[in-house]
Amino acid sequence: MIELVHVDKRFGENDVLKDLTFRVEKGEIFTLIGPSGAGKTTILRLINLLDDPTTGMILIDGKDTRVSEGERVALRRMMSFVFQKPAALRGNVFQNVSLGLKFRGIPPGEIRQRVTEALGLVGLEDYEEREATTLSGGELQRVAIARALVSRPEILLLDEPTANLDPGSIERIENLISSLNTRFRTTIILSTHDMVQGQRLATRIAVILDRKIRQVGDSRQIFYQPGSREVARMVGVENIFDGTVTANEDGLASITIGSTTIFATCHYPAGTAVTAFIRPEELLLLGGDGMKSSARNTLRGIISRVTPVGPNIRIQVDAGISLVAIITRRSYDDLALSPGAPVHTSFKANAIHVMTRAP
Amino acid sequence: MRLKLPVRPMTLKPRKVCVSITLSALIVVGALFCGCTTTAPSQGTPAPTQSIGKSKVLLATTTSLYDTGLLDYLEPMFEEKHHVDLLITSQGTGKAIEIAKRGDCDILAVHSPSQEEGFMAGGHGINRRCFAYNYFIIVGPADDPASIKDMKPEDAFTKLMTMGKAGTPGIAFVSRGDNSGTHYAEKSIWNSAGYNYTRDVQKSGNWYIEAGRGMGETLQLASEKQAYTLIDEGTYLAYKGNLGLFPIIEQGDILLNVYSVITVYTPTQPSDRITIANNFVNFLTSPEVQASIGEFGKEKYGKNLFIPMTGECSRFKCDCGKAADAQVPALLT
Amino acid sequence: MSEIIEGFIQAVELIISLNPEVLEITARSLLISLAATLCASLISIPIGGFIHFRKFGGKRGLITIIQTLYALPTVIAGLFVFLLLSRVGPFGFLGLLFTPSGMIVGQTVLIIPLMVGMTLIALSGVKQSIQDEVVSLGATTTQTVMTIIREARFAILGGVILGFGRAISEVGAAMIIGGNIRGYTRVLTTAIALETSMGNIAFSIALGIILLGIAMVVTVALFLVQER
Repeated sequence: MIELVHVDKRFGENDVLKDLTFRVEKGEIFTLIGPSGAGKTTILRLINLLDDPTTGMILIDGKDTRVSEGERVALRRMMSFVFQKPAALRGNVFQNVSLGLKFRGIPPGEIRQRVTEALGLVGLEDYEEREATTLSGGELQRVAIARALVSRPEILLLDEPTANLDPGSIERIENLISSLNTRFRTTIILSTHDMVQGQRLATRIAVILDRKIRQVGDSRQIFYQPGSREVARMVGVENIFDGTVTANEDGLASITIGSTTIFATCHYPAGTAVTAFIRPEELLLLGGDGMKSSARNTLRGIISRVTPVGPNIRIQVDAGISLVAIITRRSYDDLALSPGAPVHTSFKANAIHVMTRAP
Repeated sequence: MRLKLPVRPMTLKPRKVCVSITLSALIVVGALFCGCTTTAPSQGTPAPTQSIGKSKVLLATTTSLYDTGLLDYLEPMFEEKHHVDLLITSQGTGKAIEIAKRGDCDILAVHSPSQEEGFMAGGHGINRRCFAYNYFIIVGPADDPASIKDMKPEDAFTKLMTMGKAGTPGIAFVSRGDNSGTHYAEKSIWNSAGYNYTRDVQKSGNWYIEAGRGMGETLQLASEKQAYTLIDEGTYLAYKGNLGLFPIIEQGDILLNVYSVITVYTPTQPSDRITIANNFVNFLTSPEVQASIGEFGKEKYGKNLFIPMTGECSRFKCDCGKAADAQVPALLT
Repeated sequence: MSEIIEGFIQAVELIISLNPEVLEITARSLLISLAATLCASLISIPIGGFIHFRKFGGKRGLITIIQTLYALPTVIAGLFVFLLLSRVGPFGFLGLLFTPSGMIVGQTVLIIPLMVGMTLIALSGVKQSIQDEVVSLGATTTQTVMTIIREARFAILGGVILGFGRAISEVGAAMIIGGNIRGYTRVLTTAIALETSMGNIAFSIALGIILLGIAMVVTVALFLVQER
């Protein structure tokens, strides 16, 4: 559906994107995640043909987009773009939402019906007469989504679509995005800095870091098999250790990290310099002797730090290597943990993602 | 500069740009003319003198003649008699003659014999007729600081020059300085007094002030500065504002001020317009209008502002009674 | 001082009694300047749009020239149009010199730079994000330009009102091109100049008060527009 081939984008002297190559398939929800300033918005703008690549090319439906402005308008009319900070034009909500349909020469009767329907989808049925410039950020965001949907796009581009919304609206919009995708096979490209949202919605995820695409894959690949240390950090893998495989028996490797040895499933032979990644959610904390765990790895340590993170608790354990675990507050309370207390940390061998590294 | 529109520069060939510029220029010009021509006829509230269907004829005249109100007084009489719309624009004689040379007016009524002769010699006019005269006067402060009362104009000018150059306090002269008929008259007095105008008079000192304005403004300036100035009697009498100036010299042959009317000729001028212009010339020289000119202003100012030419043509060496019937300049026949 | 008070009283009398000559001159001034403003709008807004939306060499220089021409002396504009419209000039065949239409042309030329400049300012006041939004919604280039102009309409209207103010209050071009012909091309400003030169102060003050009144209406209109 959409293909970027070796796309570079420079604004003056500044590189904004470097050598981007990826494809988005029809009917996919493709999520761009990355820190702010990574170039997510620029990618969406390039796809929407608002900006042009400095070098490289963008194909839509297999067609080169370096065509006349008239043809580009036609391509743009297949898409809708919800900007991160949508702009309100003068006039009321109805006029704002109907603008794209007017450009397309849709008859007034149909415009009326489609606008009403689109505002219904975002829960703003009674807002038609409101002045658009007086809306709150969240209301405007929803108006912008209605404005995008009203033209029934084949491709929907969403730049941080729920950044300004309250939790109730976020759920509504996420459901809307999923249902559009399943009902109409709308191809959706979404940028977010919210990993969890990315995980919830995406068919595939691209991680953008430092002006480049670092990894493209489904959410399991991205979250559990990050392709690099940077991606791992980005997607919340907090336990990252450099070590060496000391033995490998039928895919169960012993990896020595300093004076600690852990067991991980991987196929690297003894002597390979590797990096091990363990998501904090994969770590189990056990009080007492820790013998209740069936997991391969159990490390003894002392709780060095406890930080609440929303409904969860982030616990740092010094066990020869410094481990970070995230557990629910209930488990924390049940285990009667506290800083300075001894604890057993356990994790499965197959919960560890192992990659080679330069020694 | 940031990219304004997603118009990619590579699709904008220079030729295309030229075409679009030309197109917009055409639209612009089109809009201009549609806008203007559609609004022009809607110059609603027709003036009393204006009505649809009458042909318009433009008279360019001098401020000194116009400001007296004589032409506004004669205008309805002419319009009624000939069923035309007489439009009058008042400019200095120099400018009026320039407009006439360019063919931008149909009739010329001025008072500068030497400039008129040049105009006629250039083949720009036909049927030059003198129709009225009065006198220039030299006005000045009531106490006449130069003591030139009733002197011969040339002698008075000489005295003003001597005192002015000597820097005598309270001595100043304001000149029109705008190549008008009055300015020409002033120059001829300087000439007659033996001065070269450009060399001896202009820039001869602060006492000699060149206004570069119409008669009314020049008069106001002279009044404010309590200076002497040369003015035609008609404008002086008709001036409505408060003045601190009084006639100092009213006698002298050189002060004679003769008004002439000329039909403007250009090779492209339609003959019916020339006919209308000739009608106006004949109108001004007709006995009844001559009589009206002689009456103009008597009631209001206690004396007439102009003296009709009737019967005095030979005295001024100009045509005043002959019917104006030429259609082209004598030079070209 | 007494002259001014006297003039003022006479002025009020002339206005209250709806003096036909005063009314006629006022109506003509309004018509000519409104027509000129209309013509100038039809020309300036597209030109402003073209300059704003296109990238081309010398754009910065062109804008500087336009801004310099805000102060175009009215007599220069008048002389320029006089030479164009004179019978021996390139547009002499139109016979527009010393006609109200000629004055409209003159005032149009006079206020075009100001109105182009105001259009440029108005259009640059529309945020880039709004333009992106419009383009993204599938607008063609023309639709984009029209939508942005509509978005900037109040600011552009402010420029139009300024242009009208300049047109109705100028005297140089009206005098040179119109010739101040009574009942035909005499407008408020040229009438004031003439009456003043004839020492008819009261009539001048009456016309001046009307002109000021129009200026006040224009200013209030401008204020109301910018309040939006």
